[in-house]
Amino acid sequence: MIAVEVENLSKRFRRQTVQPYTTIKSALVDIFRRRKSTEAESFEVLRDITFSVKQGQTLSILGRNGSGKSTLLKVLAGIYRADHGRICVHGRLGALLDLGTGFHPEFSGRENVFINGIILGLSKKEVRQRFDRIVQFAGLETSIDEPVKTYSSGMYMRLGFAVAVHADLDVLLIDEILAVGDAAFQLKCSDKIAEFRQHGKTIILVSHDLTSVEQLSDEVLWLDRGVIRERGEPQRVISQYRWDMVGPEERTGLPEHH
Amino acid sequence: MVLSSLRELVSYRALIQILVARDLKARYRGSVLGLLWTLFNPLLHMGIYALLFSVYMRSATERYAVFLLCGLLPWIWFSASLMMGATSIVEGGSLLKKVFFPAHVLPTVTVTANFVNFLLGIPILFTFLVLYGVQMGLPILLLPFIIACQFAFTLGLTFMIAAVSVHYRDIPHILGHFLTFWFFLSPIVYPASQVPESYRFILLLNPFVPFVVAYQDILLYNLYPSPGVCGEMLAIGLGILLCGLCVFTHFRWSFAEEI
Repeated sequence: MIAVEVENLSKRFRRQTVQPYTTIKSALVDIFRRRKSTEAESFEVLRDITFSVKQGQTLSILGRNGSGKSTLLKVLAGIYRADHGRICVHGRLGALLDLGTGFHPEFSGRENVFINGIILGLSKKEVRQRFDRIVQFAGLETSIDEPVKTYSSGMYMRLGFAVAVHADLDVLLIDEILAVGDAAFQLKCSDKIAEFRQHGKTIILVSHDLTSVEQLSDEVLWLDRGVIRERGEPQRVISQYRWDMVGPEERTGLPEHH
Repeated sequence: MVLSSLRELVSYRALIQILVARDLKARYRGSVLGLLWTLFNPLLHMGIYALLFSVYMRSATERYAVFLLCGLLPWIWFSASLMMGATSIVEGGSLLKKVFFPAHVLPTVTVTANFVNFLLGIPILFTFLVLYGVQMGLPILLLPFIIACQFAFTLGLTFMIAAVSVHYRDIPHILGHFLTFWFFLSPIVYPASQVPESYRFILLLNPFVPFVVAYQDILLYNLYPSPGVCGEMLAIGLGILLCGLCVFTHFRWSFAEEI
């Protein structure tokens, strides 16, 4: 069964200069100059992306900085809207993007757990039932009532991950979060991801840690400047990616792949 | 499209509830007077306007202080919603950028939190009405209807302002001045009947007028607002709410990219 299906997805961004927003004055000036600012200055971040993930599989997305990985996850998560193409998700999807994971800095950990849980599709009652388990998993028993702005980045992420794994998601999007947190928590996360996979959940992962990508994924998708460069079996795609990452002068001595 | 965003709002009522509670708590935490401050705010305004217009300028309006309060409380709900709503999307950026977050919730929370403040002011209003010996009767039963229409009107306008402010960041600055003009052009510190005939058209153009006049009629003069005025309020409420949702839905997808 297919869990996530993406067809011919494209996404454009407005190129933002120093001032990312318009003021009424600058809008008026634009009218007088008869200039349409949006069309000319937009650029394509994702072009014609097509792939699908079977239920229970883990897909990792590789790519250099700026290749569109995070944008792809944000489009899948429903934060951005695609300009073209179709996305079809079967089941409940939740995302763990960046460190913030959508917390409100001024609110306490407790309040954020409720807000986040509800956004991920739980009812208030369900969050209440799972609350202790969530806090325990995050290891934040002592600071759960403090505002999250006082949390360290590791604590932030632990709490975000804890809510997401207790939210009965079918599809989980994870962006770079495995790189933060101490060794003990990383282990906890890997265990939980393994458990997820055992339970037949679908995971889409963005990471620069090629070793863990190779261990965790069933398939790897390599994004290069917004298009799919390669897609397939982890070992093969990763070694091609490694080959591409090093400069031509350093390639001597490495096995040839093309 | 509009219906589905309304349905979405209803499905997120638990979230709205948490955020409203949080908003009110944050407002009163850390200030010495706490909750009392909300109650003092309209009373302070009332005191100053009463001094200005009733004592200094000798306005002939009967029971001037309580007359003021009838218009001031709804106005504070309305204007505070717009002011805070204008920045609600930009301030909620950390939520909108990182997770799928129902953006409609943010302006709704602002309006609802200010609505709760308004409700907290109602007992004070009634205390003053009783103190001034104002006789109230059955027309009071129409109060929930007027409040509901004002809620829709305020929410619709806040949706519009919130969405447009993301693109035009100077709107929140202009809005403060604009609301001051709007306040003085509404019959809150003076009765509508004192507006000279040749200036009446200004009242007709002002969508807040039927609300103020209805509150004053019901609470002070024990009068039913005319069916025409009731229809007007209903039309303004639903019409603006509909427009607001359309505008907001139109801009919805640009928020995460623009903030």
